[in-house]
Formats: sequence, C-alpha cells, structure tokens
Amino acid sequence: MLSTVLEQVVNGIVTGSVYAIVAVGMTMIFGVLRAINFAHGEYYMLGTFGAWFAVDYLGLSYEASIVVGILATIVVAYVVGQLVMRRMVGAPAESGVLATLGIALILQNAVIFVFGGGYKFFSGGYIEPISILGFSLAQQRILILVVCLVVFVGLELMVTYSRLGMAMRAVSQNVECCEVVGIDVPQVVLRTFILGAALAALSGVLTAPVNVSVYGGMGELITFKTLPIIIMGGLGNVRGTFFAAMILGIAESLVATYVGLQFRDTVGFATLILVLMWRPYGLFSTQARF
Amino acid sequence: MSLTETVQQARRRDLRIPLAAVLVVIALAAPYIGSRYVTHSLIIALIFMLPAHGLNLLVGYTGLLSLAQAAFFGIGAYTAGLLAVTYGTPFYVNLIAAGVVSGAIALPLGIPALRLRSTSFVMCTLGFVIIGQAISKNWVSLTRGDMGLSGIPKPYFELGPLSFSVSGTTNFYYLALAIGALATFAAWAIVRSPAGRNMVAIRENETLAESLGVPTWHYKLIVFMLSAVFAGIGGCLYAYYLTVVSPLTFQMYYSTTMLIIVLGGGAGMISGTVFGSLLFVGLTEALRITPELRMIAYGFCLLVLVFWFKKGFAPLINRFWNVIGGVK
Amino acid sequence: MTVPLPLLEIKNLTKSYGAVKAVADVSIHIDRGEIAGLIGPNGSGKSTFFDCSTGLARPDAGTVILDGQDITGWSLNRIAREGRMLRSFQKTVTFKALDVEENLIIAGQMFTFPSIAATFGLGKRSRSRIDGLRERARELIKMAGLWDVRHQPAGNLSGGQQKLIQFASMLMPEPKLILLDEPMAGINPKIIERVVDTILYANRSLGVSFLVIEHNIDVVTSICQRVIVLDQGAKLVEGLPHDIVQDQRVREAYLGG
Ligand SMILES: Nc1ncnc2c1ncn2[C@@H]1O[C@H](COP(=O)(O)OP(=O)(O)OP(=O)(O)O)[C@@H](O)[C@H]1O
Ligand SMILES: [Mg+2]
Repeated sequence: MLSTVLEQVVNGIVTGSVYAIVAVGMTMIFGVLRAINFAHGEYYMLGTFGAWFAVDYLGLSYEASIVVGILATIVVAYVVGQLVMRRMVGAPAESGVLATLGIALILQNAVIFVFGGGYKFFSGGYIEPISILGFSLAQQRILILVVCLVVFVGLELMVTYSRLGMAMRAVSQNVECCEVVGIDVPQVVLRTFILGAALAALSGVLTAPVNVSVYGGMGELITFKTLPIIIMGGLGNVRGTFFAAMILGIAESLVATYVGLQFRDTVGFATLILVLMWRPYGLFSTQARF
Repeated sequence: MSLTETVQQARRRDLRIPLAAVLVVIALAAPYIGSRYVTHSLIIALIFMLPAHGLNLLVGYTGLLSLAQAAFFGIGAYTAGLLAVTYGTPFYVNLIAAGVVSGAIALPLGIPALRLRSTSFVMCTLGFVIIGQAISKNWVSLTRGDMGLSGIPKPYFELGPLSFSVSGTTNFYYLALAIGALATFAAWAIVRSPAGRNMVAIRENETLAESLGVPTWHYKLIVFMLSAVFAGIGGCLYAYYLTVVSPLTFQMYYSTTMLIIVLGGGAGMISGTVFGSLLFVGLTEALRITPELRMIAYGFCLLVLVFWFKKGFAPLINRFWNVIGGVK
Repeated sequence: MTVPLPLLEIKNLTKSYGAVKAVADVSIHIDRGEIAGLIGPNGSGKSTFFDCSTGLARPDAGTVILDGQDITGWSLNRIAREGRMLRSFQKTVTFKALDVEENLIIAGQMFTFPSIAATFGLGKRSRSRIDGLRERARELIKMAGLWDVRHQPAGNLSGGQQKLIQFASMLMPEPKLILLDEPMAGINPKIIERVVDTILYANRSLGVSFLVIEHNIDVVTSICQRVIVLDQGAKLVEGLPHDIVQDQRVREAYLGG
C-alpha cells in the first residue's frame, strides 16, 4: 500500500519535472513581458514532432533527434519572436492573450495540416527499466529528473550571473527604466522567449519516449497544465514554479490512481480556480522574482 | 461607438428604412437565392452570432475579456438536448430552459471569477471550458460521456391546438433567423438602455464609474449572466441543428471563434457582431475550408486584429451607418 | 439651543500601507453649507484620507458618519449613491471615449433610476428620465463653458477642460457634499477662476458643502471658511484660513522642518 503511494509520488515527481521545464520558460516570459504565453505548449509539441520526424523520416538516432527537435523549435521561435513577441512589449495584457492564442492556433493546425491529425508512434529513447532502492524506473524517467535539476540549477546561475539573466531581472522590475538606461528590451524579450521555447521543446523530446504517442493537439494540453502551475508558482517566479510543478505532478498521479484516470487532466485547472479565489496573485509571491 | 453621437452636419437622405427593407428581403429570400450549402452556412453563422452577441456585451461594452462563452454554449446545448431526448418537451421550452440554466450557472461562476483582474480572469474563464468538458465526459449517468447525446428530435412546437415540427434546412434557417433577429434586438435594447451606458462607463474607467454611484460589481455580474444566456440559447439551437451533443461542444476553439467574430466585426457595436458572424463563420463555412486551414486563418486573424487592425471593421461599419443615416 | 449635527463627522481615521502610516488617527467634521480646506505637504496623507472616507480604500480603524448615519465600510458606489457624498480624483479621469454630454448623463443615471433593474428599461419612463438628465447636463455644460465641445470625446479635450467635466459630473446628482482632490492643479488661471466660481455657485445656490484639497494657498484662503492641516498622516492644526497661514507649525511642516 505504502509502496504504491510512494511509487505514485515518484511518478508524480517525474511528471512534475516535465511540467517544470515547460513552465519555467513560460514564467520567465511572463516576467519580461507581463503577458501569458497561451502558445507555450505548442513549442513542446514542435520539439516532439521535430524529434519524431528525425527518427521516423530521417532515420536518426534518439540523441540526434533531441538536437533536431530543439533546433527546429528555436527556428520557429525566432520567427515568432521577431514577428510577434517583440511587438507585445508594453501592449495591454489582453493583446498578449489574443496574440498568443492566435499563434497557438497557427502552430498547432499547421502541424496537423502537414502531418495529419492522427496519433503517431515515437520509437526511441532509453526505456529499459532499472531498479533503484527497490523501485523499478525507466532510465528515461531518471534522465528527465536529472535534466530538470540541471536546468533549474543552470537557470538560477544564469539569472544571477549572466548578462542576459541580469537584463531579464531588470526588465521584469521596470521596463521604462530599462529603456532609459539603454537595455534593449525587445532583444531581451526575444532571447528570453527563445530560451523558454527551447526548454519547452527539450521537455517534449525528453518525454516523447515515455508518452510514446505524438499528435498535433498535445501542445494545448500542456499549455492548459502549465497555466495553473505558473499562476500557483507566482507569475515570474522560477523557484515557485518548480515547487508548483512538483505539487501538480504528484497530485495528478495520486488522483489518477485513487480517484480515476479521467480526472487527471482537470486537477490543474480545478486547483488553479481554487487558488485564484483564495489568493488572486498566486501562492508564492506577488511579484516577479527570478 | 454607438454611444458617441457624431457631430451632426448637413443631413442627407435617411436611408435606414429602405436599407432595412432590403436586408429583410435578402434574409428571407436567402434560401432560394443560394444553394442548400449556403443556407447551411448561414444557419451556422446565425447560431454563432448568439453567443457572440453575449460576448460583445461582455468584451465590447463592459470591457471584460472572457473565454467562457464555449462553456455556456455547451451548457445550453446539453440542457436542451437532455430535455428534448429525455422528456420530449417542446422546442421553445427547451430554448428558454437552455438560456435560464446557462444564466443561472453563470452566477456562482461569475461571483469568484469577476473578482480577478485581466489575465487571471481570462484564465479562470478558460478553466470553466476545460472543466465543463471534463464534467460532460465523466458524468456519464447524465451526459452519456464521450458518446454524447444523440437523436435530438426536430424542433417541435406545441401552441394550443397547433403542433408542428420544423424540418428541412430551409425551415430551420427561418427558425434560426427569427431567433437571431430577436437576440439582435435584445442585445440592441440592452446597450441602448441606461444600463448600456453604465456598461460602457465600466469599460472606460471602472473606478470613476464607481465614484459616480454605478454599482459596477452588480453590473459586471449581470452582464456576465446575460452573456451566458445568449450563449445558452445559441447552444440550444446548435444541439437541435446537429441533432447530437458531445463533450466537444466545450471547446476553447469555439470561444476563440466567438472572440474573432466580436473583435473582427468591431467590438462595442451590435451591427459589428452581425457582420462578424457572417464574415468569419458564414463565409469560411461556405468556402468549405478544411478545419485546419480555417483555424490557421483564425490565428492570423487574431494577430492582425491585435497589431494592425485594432478596431476590426468598426470604423468601416460606422462610416456606412453615417452614410445610411444621412450624416455626411 | 441644540447644536446642529455636522454633515460629515470622521472619527479617529487610521490607515497604514505596510510600514507607512498614511493616515494616523485623524478626526474632522464638516458643517452643513461649509467649504473647508484640507492642506498639507506632499505625501501627508490627504488623498489617502479621501480614499478612506469615501469607500475607495478600507480604513484600518475609525468611523465615518454622514448625516447622522454610520457609513464606515460602505462601498464607493453606495456612499455616492445613498450618501450623496461625491469625490474627485487627484489624477483627472473622465470617460475618454464618450462625449461630454454622455459623461454627465452617466454621472446622473444612478441617482435618477430607482434600481439597477430600472436602468435596463427602454420605455417612456426611462426615456423621459434620460431627457431630464440631458437637460440638466446641458445647463451644467453651459455653466462650465464647455458648450462648444459638448459632442467631442472627453479624451480629446485639454486637462483643464477634463477637470471641468469631472467637476460638472459631480454636480449632476444634486450632492450634499463634494470632496475635491486638487481641483486646480495644472490648469491655467482663467480656468481656476471658473472652477472657483462654480464651487461658490454650487455652495450658495445649490447648498453643496465642500472639502477641498488644494496646494494653491490663495484659492484656499479665498474660498474656505476653515482649513485643516495634515502632516505625516496626522492632523496638525485646524482653524481660520488667515490664522493657518500665519501658524508657525504649518510653516515648519511645509518647509520640511
Ligand atoms: N496604495 C498605496 N500603497 C502604498 N502606499 C501608499 C498608497 N497610497 C498612498 N501611499 C503612501 O501614503 C502616504 C500618503 O500618500 P497620499 O497620496 O495620501 O498623500 P497626499 O497628501 O495626497 O500627497 P500629494 O499632495 O502629493 O497628493 C505616502 O507616503 C504614500 O507613499
Ligand atoms: Mg494627493
């Protein structure tokens, strides 16, 4: 009994890691842009599709497909960033909502248009289970955990010490001041956005071997799950996002086991609504904090 | 903006009555002018016009961006479908019930949601759609889950000794046209009333409106409920037209469609919403574009509306009304 | 002989923002028919005092009594509607997309229609109510000298003209008491004269009492019967205008002593 609970918790942490890598990009974008990116899950989908294409059509190895997936996403994100995200600097919140909803529609349906709407099978990855401390866990899941930790430690360091990180913090504090002291705000937004999209793609290619199925609508589902996470994490807050993602991952896996699998995907929004009612500005902080 | 009078200059001939006559004739003759497929496209446009009118009250007049419209559309569809299939109640009973149930559910949802500001409110309303879909999928004893409700009968009327069903595309078109016209009139009456002026005041500056005695909270709640009533009625028509209701009625994509109708047609004007539903829903339906291409086109529409064509067709329609109304 | 009840009585009003005590234990009263001034250096808590008295912000402590009725904790709209105590904002605000006439009609609506439900009416009663409001609006527009621009969107007008709109809006509902937050700031002397005239007219002919925050000391001494001075959230002194101008403590407060 206890061991199944523990197993579900471990599974939940793996799921939480997947969400965390996606959500952290979304929350950083919010930090610099003050806008929610409703298309963020689509970059997760693009990464997965890129990798699937590399494995299935080009016959590349899984390792190479990771690179292909992420690079393809970066290219798309660069175009979207140049054409759309830069324009969102200083625009009202509603414009951001509508513009990113539009991008989500375009990306998702363009992929369905090109590759068809059906489910595709992802072959590749390290699915061999190994056992640690009495648990049997697929290697891929361990990889996800490790990458998640590396990503978050890396982001902490980057935000604290690198030029881009410092610029990001500055922009998230006060856009007008940044413009006065000569920080190129649209450039910071563009780079943060591409970084976030690349992280979402990374999460996608890492999860593909575990989820196996690849389809055009998968990004939307991820967007719907990351939205509650970044709100609960306190918009713009990297550490809060990490914890919120873990909480959601664990909650989902427990609900799937003990309440019913069909309720898993609603946990996020149900908690989100409750949290919003209780604390309209999120759980962990009221301001952007990197 | 319909509430800002334009400066009156040399009056020309007032063409409003002839225009109305022409429009009525075209609307009535449409099924005989175009093909059956055109009639079908017009029906879909009329159905989507209903929730769009509700959304226009919310977004265009009161300034609240909401994605919840698909949720109330779905609630209306299920209410009407369940009543028709389970109890065989006449169409107009189900139509009213769909509006009332949607509006009633909007009250407990609106009370917490309207406390939130801008993006948080948008996300909360998105949550309603997602949770609505989950409930319709999982409350199998009521909704039959993924299978959905099927076999919704033709719209059936029972007026005293007279009872009849509306069958065939052409007749359904007239039914939709009648309801659409009534809803358009209702929306027009709401925005023309003093309450409509208060709604615009809330959109322009909520605190100022409040300081002048306008109970903004009550108005926002009422408008949120009214928007749900419009959506519920639209959902009812949709259920009758398709004869099936499935959890897919709760789709974010529908909310997006309604937003495009309102913003593209011109937010804050009733004729804009009518025009928007004909253009964005009727035309794309009539052109038989594949769903993917249509959604891609909608995506581009949203981008264009946000960055370049901010007021949609509103300025154009305004100029048109000025010409028609005899103002130079 | 009984002392008449003051129109507005505020007792021990207190409000903190975090560590800042914006208003500390301030008690004042406004008599019927009076024009009182509220002055004090920048950041002394004048606007916050208004916010807490009118329901825009919730005071931490204290009571607000209007016309013998305890209105503490009422919302901004209820205080305006039921109490007929209106306020202006330091930052000029108007309904920018609407024309001047519509701005004023909105200001009168909630005082003319008996309920929210009634405002949804389109019938004869509703129309005649709106016609009445429009007439009143036009009178006030004339008085404020905005007749020529009455059909222009408020957002297109100058800051001074918008201040006049704001002020005229507050006269629409036949108020008992108006709280003005810096009505003369940033407007030219000609319009200052106009605002002063309108305040005096409203006070004498319409019987409206005023509490006016103003940095322009000449205006304060010329129109106010009594002046209250705030400093660092607390009430420093109150008294006749020319005494206040002479007061050593007030001078020190302004010089940042
Ligand atoms: N919403 C708020 N949040 C935090 N602090 C506030 C807030 N509003 C006011 N304060 C603080 O309260 C104090 C009083 O401010 P207030 O605006 O009431 O002063 P004031 O007398 O109106 O000044 P001025 O003459 O410049 O208008 C200031 O120190 C201000 O920083
Ligand atoms: Mg002030």
